[in-house]
Amino acid sequence: MPEQTPRIRPILRLATPPARAMAPALTAGALAAAAAVALLAASTWLITRAAEQPPVLFLSMAVVAVRAFALARAVFRYLERLAGHGAAFTQLSSLRVGVVARILPIAPAGLGAAARGDVLSRLVRDVDDLADFPLRVIAPLVTTALVSVLSVAAVWFVAPSAAVALAAWLVLSAIVGSAGTAALAARAERHIAPLRGELADRVLEIIENLDVLSAYGALDERMQAVRALDARLRRASLRRFLGAGLQAALASLFGGAAVVSALLLTASAGLSGPVLAVVVLVPLAVFEVAGAVPAALASWRQVRASAERVAAVAPSVVPAGIPVDRPDAISRPADPLAPLLELHDVAVTWPDEPVPAVSGVSVTVHAGDRLVVTGPSGVGKTSLALALVRFLEYRGCYRVQGVEARDLPQAAVRRVVGLCEQDPWLFDNSIRQNLLFARDTATDDELLAVLGRVGLAGWVAERGGLDARVGERGALVSGGQAQRIAVARALLADFPVLVVDEPTANVDAAQGESLLRDIAAAAGTKRAVVFISHAPVPPELVTARLDMAAARHPLPAPV
Amino acid sequence: MRPLDPRLLRHASAARRFLAAGAVIGVAHTVVVICGAWLLTRCIVLAVDGRGLTAVSPVIGLLAAAVVARSVLTWLQDLAAARAASEVKRQLRARALDALAAGGPARIAGRHSAHVTTVLTGGLDALDTYFSRYLPQLLLTAIATPLLVAVILWNDPASGVTVILALPLIPVFMVLVGWRTQAAQQEQWLALQRLASGFLDVIGGLATLKIYGREHRQPARLRAITEEYQGRTMGVLRVSFLSGFVLELAASLSVALVAVSIGLRLVDGQLPFATGLFVLLLAPEAFLPLRQVGAQFHAAADGIAAADEVFALLAPAPAPAVAHSRPGVRGNESEGRAEAGVRFEGVRFEGVVVRARVTSEPVTAHVRPGELSVIAGPSGAGKTTLLRALAGFVPFDGRISRNGMPVGQDDTRGWLAWAGQRPQLFSGTVASNVTLGAASVDLPLLQRALALAGIPSIDPARTVGGSASGLSGGQAQRVAVARACYRALANGCDVVALDEPTSALDDEAEAALLRGLRALAQAGRAVIVVSHRPAVLAAADAVVHVGETAARALEAARA
Repeated sequence: MPEQTPRIRPILRLATPPARAMAPALTAGALAAAAAVALLAASTWLITRAAEQPPVLFLSMAVVAVRAFALARAVFRYLERLAGHGAAFTQLSSLRVGVVARILPIAPAGLGAAARGDVLSRLVRDVDDLADFPLRVIAPLVTTALVSVLSVAAVWFVAPSAAVALAAWLVLSAIVGSAGTAALAARAERHIAPLRGELADRVLEIIENLDVLSAYGALDERMQAVRALDARLRRASLRRFLGAGLQAALASLFGGAAVVSALLLTASAGLSGPVLAVVVLVPLAVFEVAGAVPAALASWRQVRASAERVAAVAPSVVPAGIPVDRPDAISRPADPLAPLLELHDVAVTWPDEPVPAVSGVSVTVHAGDRLVVTGPSGVGKTSLALALVRFLEYRGCYRVQGVEARDLPQAAVRRVVGLCEQDPWLFDNSIRQNLLFARDTATDDELLAVLGRVGLAGWVAERGGLDARVGERGALVSGGQAQRIAVARALLADFPVLVVDEPTANVDAAQGESLLRDIAAAAGTKRAVVFISHAPVPPELVTARLDMAAARHPLPAPV
Repeated sequence: MRPLDPRLLRHASAARRFLAAGAVIGVAHTVVVICGAWLLTRCIVLAVDGRGLTAVSPVIGLLAAAVVARSVLTWLQDLAAARAASEVKRQLRARALDALAAGGPARIAGRHSAHVTTVLTGGLDALDTYFSRYLPQLLLTAIATPLLVAVILWNDPASGVTVILALPLIPVFMVLVGWRTQAAQQEQWLALQRLASGFLDVIGGLATLKIYGREHRQPARLRAITEEYQGRTMGVLRVSFLSGFVLELAASLSVALVAVSIGLRLVDGQLPFATGLFVLLLAPEAFLPLRQVGAQFHAAADGIAAADEVFALLAPAPAPAVAHSRPGVRGNESEGRAEAGVRFEGVRFEGVVVRARVTSEPVTAHVRPGELSVIAGPSGAGKTTLLRALAGFVPFDGRISRNGMPVGQDDTRGWLAWAGQRPQLFSGTVASNVTLGAASVDLPLLQRALALAGIPSIDPARTVGGSASGLSGGQAQRVAVARACYRALANGCDVVALDEPTSALDDEAEAALLRGLRALAQAGRAVIVVSHRPAVLAAADAVVHVGETAARALEAARA
């Protein structure tokens, strides 16, 4: 098996079906390849023996064999493809579930840059590419190895020296094919992959910012840069093809060499005519089967790169700074007299960041409180929100209904503290489904009522009711509407404490204010709301304020 | 898919050159194959006759030469294909980018920029397989197969007829099976897309699912949908793999038929051994290119599908469905009085595709020089679109005039400094972003622009990553405004148009920026700001209300 780094081994294991599931495909593949070799051997024997003009009876077995092998080759090939795809698909669901299981504990804070949309789509494609591993890497390599060994063994019985030569050429071809191309491809990949990435970045930059670039007359200069980059990429990929093409040419050369050496070794060996002809021609068929190897190795390189990327996004250990449930974490009975939330000198640090994003935050939230968290952009308001719902670990003291949050299971904290994200995710489904998962017992009337509370009643009616779809990633709704749907969802879930991150960022002032009032009114006196907002919140709604810039005293505020 | 897409030849000259080179190499390759088969036959016939190594050696030498020649030609073929693939990709990419640049932002409106980028970069790589595997084999089918059939016919008419009868069966059956499965495959492809986007939905929405405590249901859900898909897929594959089965069966059975018929005629002494063996060796070669075409057909279709998306970008832009100025409005009456500033007359965007529905309420307004004018209105009323129309990014109905002269789509808009809703910064430094598109950097002017945008203390040498990483949201927004200010100062633009320039700013920063905008206006510029922030409205000299009818309708719906 080609080399693999330890990091990707568990990912590849996720992509590999169990031996039992792979066996039918591998067996059928080996039989199909063996039938191809046998077809050539049998027809060569038939013709050479016939030329000696024996009674036709002596040939009947060969005639039957030739037809049977021809049929077997096609049938087994069909079965191989079917069984192989079946096994790969079965594995795909385990693979996807496995990848989700690895990402689940770290989402969203531990995903870092991977949380960006394009990187996520890339991840989804990578996982799909991993499904190629059993189908396009394991199967052809195993099949070729089996048939090569069988053919060498068969030739060994009649002409051991020709068998040794055939084995030698096969081994040489395997070495040149794997080691040689691996080195060539690795060298080229080192040059090509960064160029390709840069080109994609540049093109994306142009397309995303076509308006800015044309408004500022900077388009030509950028296009020039892309053309230059493209020319460099072209030269680099040509160098790689030079190597790859050489490999295919060498495979054809070694196949021919195997035939020539078989001729040299058997011409004077005193073998019978039919046997001699078979020994000389079998290498042709074996090398045709081995022709699948370069493609398998190319697929392997792709699979490996995909596995590397998946391993980078979905690490096997949770990075420091992301909370992990303690083994002894159990939901403790809440203290009915304790405040809903109590923070004392809380600091929050992102994974791989040297400086805490939040420090020295102390605040208490009681039922009925409306706390407004203010501060300039970049002061750590969102980081605090992520820590409150335990997406980020905290230092200091953070009690939820009287119990230290890190002693509770994360799920228990999130039953008390809900978050309405700044950039909410809408699922590609109907409005109803996007609300229902917050409370699956809600009736349509309740859903419409909550939509009315966030000012979407008219819009939903116009869209044709709760069955209207929101599109992939909410593509069919505007930013403000997406935010309102997210608020509706959060209201529906009825969290004792609701943290709302910038609810008015995409809404105009009047509507923003009414949205804030709606949220505050919906919370009532038994619940608390934490508004995170840089826009002013009507003072009569506010019962407490937390100025993050002031809380952050030990550190200079950013520019 | 047509076997050879004429659009490729039309749009990429490299593809035409490749066809010529490939044809020459193909002829040479076929001649070498025929010579090789004949020499191999001679060797075997001599060896079977027991002539000994000395008699066979000279022919073996010639055979070795043929083997080497075949390898070299294989290498040349690969090389030509690789050159063609990379050159065609470069040509198509360059043409598409040029078309996008020429078409302006209106051209990519409604397209997903990440998708367009993928099409232009990674997507085009699907053409590699088209050029390296499919097209050379298609050429060989056209060149080698007729040559080989002719040689077989000439040597042994009976085998020739068998091959001629079997060859057409392959494409005929492939087309028949293809027809039978086309709808199913299309359906299957859509299901695959749905499955991938369902997976993306789960991965992207993990944070949201965790907030609502729904994350633990996802593995089971993923498994269920993947398995349901698998069940249906295998049904489709059973049928669609039949085309591959027919191909293999036709090829191997006809080789078997040729072998058996030659064998039977050899026994009767109707055919010399050498002729029989020669034809047996050539028969599989006659089927090889067609088999490869069939095997690579789907990969090639992927390549053409990728190219299709590029051709879609290349297609001439549809003529704007709306006139830029309605007849009658561009009357003599308005040409007479050369009004200073920007005038919108009945501007509306019917039929313009934007993310959210745009109220097609015509806008009429006059923005005077020396004034700060604010455009206000509910979300979705078309405020942003109005500015984009002014900047020439969207077609519009009605009339926009500046200083009494109509502003057309072909105006280069050297008089306008525009900044959009998102900062849209480029990787580089603060200075390189602020001076975007300027031929030289004027440091004092740069400082002034930063001061006007309310961010005078930022270091111009500070690095900015892609997507404005390294800056906070508020900083990025002010740098983007500084960019517009710099352009206004450096180019002497008399119109400054800013879309929500303070949405990510705190009160203090907003006030500083507004002071800067007032200064720009007092210097005699017409400053247009889209905003719903009270502070901006308070600072305005004039307020333009957009979509008020829609706003009232919304209020009514909520009441």
